[in-house]
Amino acid sequence: MKISKKIVLIGHFGVGKSSLIRRFVEDTFTEDYKVTIGVHVLKKEVKLPETDKDITLVIWDLEGNDDITNTRPSYLIGTNGFLYVFDLTRPATYEKLSNDLDYISERFPKTPIKVIGNKKDLVTNEFIKQNKEVFGRFVDFYTSAKSGKNVEDVFTNLAKALIK
Amino acid sequence: MLDNYKKEHPQSVNQYMIVQLDGTITESDDVIYKNIVGENISEIHPFFESIHEALQEKNKRHVFSCIHLTDQNNQTIITDIVVKTFDNDKLPMIVILDLTLHYDNYQTTAQVRNESVINSQILELKNDYLQEKEAFKNAFIANFSHELRDPLTGILTFSDILKKTGLNDEQLNYLKVIDSSSSYLKQLIEDILDISKIEAGKLELVITPFDIRELLEDIKKGFKIKAEQKGLELITNFNNNLPLIVGGDPLRLRQVINNLLENAIKFTEVGTITFNVSLNQIRAQKASIHFQIIDTGIGIAEDDIEQIFTSFTQLNKASTYKGAGLGLAIAKHLVSLTDSKISVDSTLGEGSTFSTNINFKLDHNYKLKSKKKTKEIKPKSDKKYSILLVEDSEITQLSILKILASKGNYFLDIVTKGEDVVPRIEQSEFDLILMDIKLPNSYGDEITKLIRKMPDRDHKKTPVIALTARVFKDDLRRYKKAGINDVIKKPFDEDALLSKIEEYLK
Repeated sequence: MKISKKIVLIGHFGVGKSSLIRRFVEDTFTEDYKVTIGVHVLKKEVKLPETDKDITLVIWDLEGNDDITNTRPSYLIGTNGFLYVFDLTRPATYEKLSNDLDYISERFPKTPIKVIGNKKDLVTNEFIKQNKEVFGRFVDFYTSAKSGKNVEDVFTNLAKALIK
Repeated sequence: MLDNYKKEHPQSVNQYMIVQLDGTITESDDVIYKNIVGENISEIHPFFESIHEALQEKNKRHVFSCIHLTDQNNQTIITDIVVKTFDNDKLPMIVILDLTLHYDNYQTTAQVRNESVINSQILELKNDYLQEKEAFKNAFIANFSHELRDPLTGILTFSDILKKTGLNDEQLNYLKVIDSSSSYLKQLIEDILDISKIEAGKLELVITPFDIRELLEDIKKGFKIKAEQKGLELITNFNNNLPLIVGGDPLRLRQVINNLLENAIKFTEVGTITFNVSLNQIRAQKASIHFQIIDTGIGIAEDDIEQIFTSFTQLNKASTYKGAGLGLAIAKHLVSLTDSKISVDSTLGEGSTFSTNINFKLDHNYKLKSKKKTKEIKPKSDKKYSILLVEDSEITQLSILKILASKGNYFLDIVTKGEDVVPRIEQSEFDLILMDIKLPNSYGDEITKLIRKMPDRDHKKTPVIALTARVFKDDLRRYKKAGINDVIKKPFDEDALLSKIEEYLK
């Protein structure tokens, strides 16, 4: 049985949303930063053997915004799941994490959201340990688009949440 | 020609499509995507897979701006997409507007803006990190040198005491080595602390009237002996028209000259050290005095001159000359506090000339403080004085005990914890309190505040002298505010301790 679900990556600019998708879909990475304007849409099939279901993730890579309330509402129509991505090395990208998550939850109360701290390759485990309270919310995954660490798990985990 | 114009001045192009509710394309004008009738809209691009929900709505118009699609030639186009549904049985319409040119310009602007914001955030973080690192270094240096002071006080005082125990010549020679090593260590700690103060921006000059000629003569006396010990000649020329009393920081001026002369002697093996001081300029309330130190030493290569004023830099890497390389860095900073600079003229193998013009204040109302004749302020020999020592370091306790015991007219009571001070004062009367500042779990200035608040009036008057290495301007202000009368700087020797005690027991 094939299911198609729309997931949206949201967060500040430069946090690595496009890099995470590129790593997940194409298994590639580039150090060059190219700003995303508007939306790129890609898709990838995820096999979930334990549920006997395949799921097609239609992944919306939104342009980064330091104020998510400015996100164009049309981009969010029909969203089945969110990935909120922040940059572990830049506090400006997680200072409003808690407010941003509340904002999304209020508008999409039953839609799963996973929180991703990206660029894990640039910080130590100790840094993460010391800053857990600073992030303000539970972080589901610490990823590195550069090394590929946890990237597959993020999308698979969200896919599982979408078919529950 | 029209075709050329169209290529040179392209305008946006639109494609109209009519789709069924399941996404099957029933009509298309094939402007961007050709021959697609009968296909499902989802097959054109993943974007359309997500708009099935919008197709089911009635009489709605959704505009999706700046959507990246791939055309049939595999080229990326950036579009606005309009999805229009109707009330009646009319099928939904999809319009694709190719606005690639417009959005390409936007992309360039956004790229510049975002990169600039990210770079400034990273720069700010780096700056924060460097400041934290700097603060840690300064705190480390301050604490570490503080910890060195107690054992150094022990070495200095017991070395003094040992000298008076009838040693033979060989033993006295050994003691001289201990003396010279501990003096060097003391100087090194002072220099490291000064550098940490400089880097923390806490080093300030204390301006006071002083007799500059007397200070120069005093410096000359000390360095004449040092130069002679190395087989060098110290030539001094102090101009006669120097003002008698100037306003400046005599301690720091002495430090600058000492560092320059030390440096000259250190790097000169044969010849002379010439120390010239002359009046450069005089105005109503300001005198500029020129200091020049010329040596016939090893000299400095032109490319290295800038480096010599950097902390921990010694050009002679072969370690022929001992030293941490802090003296000139400190001198340079101290001179800069008077808005002046030290200039260097040097020839490798021939020698160097260090010069500077330092500004001093002039004021006819300047009067010199009468010098403290400590020797004359001896306490009455027939009276025994009770002194309370608040100190946790056993070395310092023992040093003070030995010094005071050798004089025979002091009773010393020792308390090691802050919380025991007030109860001890309530039990016994003391003529003076020696108070360490950094005690386990408490601070001497805070304890002094408690002493000053005690109901018995006498306690308010008992002199409290702090024993501490922390003598930044802010610290001194805090001690004074707490009711501390004076400070003995660690590490101290017998003279420093006794003269201060005797001053307050007159």
